[in-house]
This record gives sequence, C-alpha cells and structure tokens, in this order.
Amino acid sequence: MIDVQNLFFSYTDAPPWVLKSLDLLVQKGEYISVVGDNGSGKSTLMRLLLGFLRPTRGHVHVGTKNIGYVPQRRDAMIDHGFPITLKESLTAYRRLKSLSAESVSDVLNLIRMDQMSDHLMGNLSGGQQQKVLIGRALLGRPDLLILDEPSTGIDQASQKEIYALLLDISKKIGTTIVSVEHNLEAAVTNSTKIYHLHGGSGHMCSPEQYRDEYLTKG
Amino acid sequence: MFQYQFMQNALIASLIIAVLSPCIGIFLVLRRQAMIGDALSHASLAGVTLGLLYGQNPVLSAFLFTAVSGALIEYLRATFRRFSELILAIVLALGVGTAITVISSGRLTTNADQFLFGSILTVTTLDLYMIIGLAFLSFIMLTLLYNQLLYITYDSDAAQLAGVRVRLINYAFAVLVASVVSMMIRIVGVMVISTLLTLPVATAMQLGKGFKKTLLWSIVFSVIELIAGLILAFYLNVAPGGFTALLAVFVLMVVLIGKRVLANRQRRKAESV
Repeated sequence: MIDVQNLFFSYTDAPPWVLKSLDLLVQKGEYISVVGDNGSGKSTLMRLLLGFLRPTRGHVHVGTKNIGYVPQRRDAMIDHGFPITLKESLTAYRRLKSLSAESVSDVLNLIRMDQMSDHLMGNLSGGQQQKVLIGRALLGRPDLLILDEPSTGIDQASQKEIYALLLDISKKIGTTIVSVEHNLEAAVTNSTKIYHLHGGSGHMCSPEQYRDEYLTKG
Repeated sequence: MFQYQFMQNALIASLIIAVLSPCIGIFLVLRRQAMIGDALSHASLAGVTLGLLYGQNPVLSAFLFTAVSGALIEYLRATFRRFSELILAIVLALGVGTAITVISSGRLTTNADQFLFGSILTVTTLDLYMIIGLAFLSFIMLTLLYNQLLYITYDSDAAQLAGVRVRLINYAFAVLVASVVSMMIRIVGVMVISTLLTLPVATAMQLGKGFKKTLLWSIVFSVIELIAGLILAFYLNVAPGGFTALLAVFVLMVVLIGKRVLANRQRRKAESV
C-alpha cells in the first residue's frame, strides 16, 4: 500500500534534513502507528504520504488515491467558531467526492451520532468532534486512513471509543491505517506494527519489541 | 420616491448587492480575510479613476482592476507566507497610489468623490445592466463553487485531498470578490465596502446557526440594512454608504445585547429551577 525508499526531506531543499534516508513499507490491511519525539518528523512524513509535500530526494509511492485523512483537532476549524453543523460538514464533503447521500447516513450510524446531525461542530465535545473527523475520512470507504494524533486533548472514555472504532475499521473492513501517535499505550495495544522515528530516520518494529526496547526501559 | 428613475436603479442595484455581498463576505470572514475587502475596495477606486480617465464605464474598469489586484493577492500569498498582512499593504499601496496619482493629475473631468462615499444619483441604466450582468455571472460561479469554497474555508487540506484544486478556486474567488466590490462602489462607496461585506455576516454569526442558516440570516440583515439605508439616506439627504454602515453597526449591537439578555434570562431560569 505504501512504499517509501531512501526519502530525504527538508523544507529548504537542503540540509539539515527533517527526514533522511528513510524507508517505509506498509502492506494492505496493516495498522501502523508512527511514534517519535516532538520534532522527529512524524507530521512531515504524514504530509508527504498525503501528497501535500514533495520529497527532496527519494521515492514515495502510495498505492491508492482513495485516502481518508483525520487532521489534528486543533488544526481543523472546529474550535474557531466556524458555523457549521455536523451534517453540513459531512454533506459538503461527500458532494466534493461525488458520493451518494446514503454514505453520510451510513457514516453517522457507524460513529453513532445520527441523532446529533444538526448540532454545531463547535458545540460537540472533543471526542465527538474527533469521531466526526474520522467519519468524514471514512466517506467513500478509503483504502488508506491516515490520522494525526487522534487522541490528543480527548478524555479517556472518548479515547477508548475512538480506538475501538479504528480497530473495528481495521479488522472488519480491512482498511490500512497509518496513525501518528502520541498515545504510546494505544500504539502498542492497537497497532500491528510500530514505526519509530528518531533524528529524521525511522525503523519498523513489532509492538512487543517497541514496548520492551523503549517503554519498559523508560 | 421610487417614481424617480435614479431611485429605481439604486433600489435594484442595492437589492442585488445586498444578496450577493454576504455570499462573498461569509467566506472572507471565516477565512480571517475581512480586510481583503478593504484593500480591494481601494483597488476598485483606482479602477474607477482609470475608467474615468480613459472615458470607459467605471464599473467595468473597477471590476478589471480589482480582479487583477485580487489575483495579485493570491499570487503574493506564496511569497509572503508568514507575513500575509504585508500583501494587503502592497495591494493597498497599488490601489491608493494609482487613484491619488490619477485624481491629483487634474485630468479627470468627473468628480471621483462620489465613489468614495457612494451616491444614489450615480447609478445609470448602463451601470445597472453592468451590475445585473456581473451579478448573474457571480451567482453562477458561487453556485458551482459553493462546496469547494466551503471546504477550502473549513479545512483546506481535506478539500485538497478530495481533489479540489485549491489554488485555482482561490483565484476564482478573488475574481468573485472583485466582481462584488466593483458592483458596490457606486452605491455604498469605497470607504464602507468592507463593512457591508462583513458586518451582516458578523451579526448572523451571533445567532449560533449552521453554515446555510448563517448565510441566509446574513442576507436578511444585509437586505434590511441596505434598503433601509437607501430610503433613509434619500430623506435625510446623506450618502447611503455611510448611513448603511451605521445601520449595520446598530443592528449588530441590538443582536449582541438581545443575545446577552436572553442568556441572562435563561441562566436565571435555570438557577430558579
């Protein structure tokens, strides 16, 4: 699904590199969590996968154009008084993607928010807003779902609900998931593999390996 | 008063502007670009003065100059990514510089002051046809681009991922803003164009509705303010632009106070239960 080879990236097209000599291979149906310290290049890698940035050197291949994207809640306009209802935000998006009207009701059922469709996005709780962003990304049943810190700023109960939803999508529908994670516990529990970014380079490991190498050693 | 041809022209033009301006204004306000209306209204004055200088229709020349300025704003956005307020200073300098140079050259045979403050008397039948034509094209563009504009404004990354050509739509939007600004210059004048693009939207946003309802309420406020402003300006013998701006501020204050009173009443009711 994703094949990244010898990727170098810098915002100035010259060293120092944000990402250097990076390789990443993601198979269809995998659930990958991308972890690393602040400034390790997680969000940059995500934007390269989404096609918002171009590699300075190397090769990024994503095997589908049907990609769902869940931005960080603070990057979306939700909390800035934007006057838009839950249903409006989904309906306008499904029109952009030329999808049927039923796709919106399907997604509302999936995220269990069909009774709240006329609520303003800004009046929803953090967890509810995040579920709507996931629901929007799922419109058109994407082959690949990319998430940027899906649990940041969200209460524990909503986090559980969100990760249960992601696992459900991954296992039942077989959607490939790449999630930039700050929540290491969730990364270890939910992912099939973990991609650890450090100093602009990365390596793939199993959740068990990651827990043993990085979490238990503190 | 509507037996006069000039008042009929002014009324039709005001109605068109009142409906169109919030349709553009809502995107400007939500993109935090309310001041672009101000920069482009000054650019439209430059277009007017150039039109008058070369004996062309001022609404058309205002549209052309404003459209080029709008496109320039989009072009400069990539260059001044981190200092976007500089873009407005550049466009403002271009517009005001051109207008002042032309006006002060003494080569204009028509008084350009009427475009600064707006005037009921100046909407000719040819202007009206021009406004109707531009409005028709603007409505078609708005209808076609509605979802794209909404999503670029709401979440530009998501729009891009859905296949929207963000840069191209932003250029089209700049032309739309230019079109509406050049229509407004006759009636309301340069000085208050941005006020009327944004204040009805700001008022409607206080009602806490979704996007479509906020847009509809913006149009309602805009129509009430512009038509009341036009009629009262006729009887008070003042420029309609300035008076309409005052009305817009007044309506916003009434809605803000009403909202506060309602919230207090609800709070007291909840406390008593």
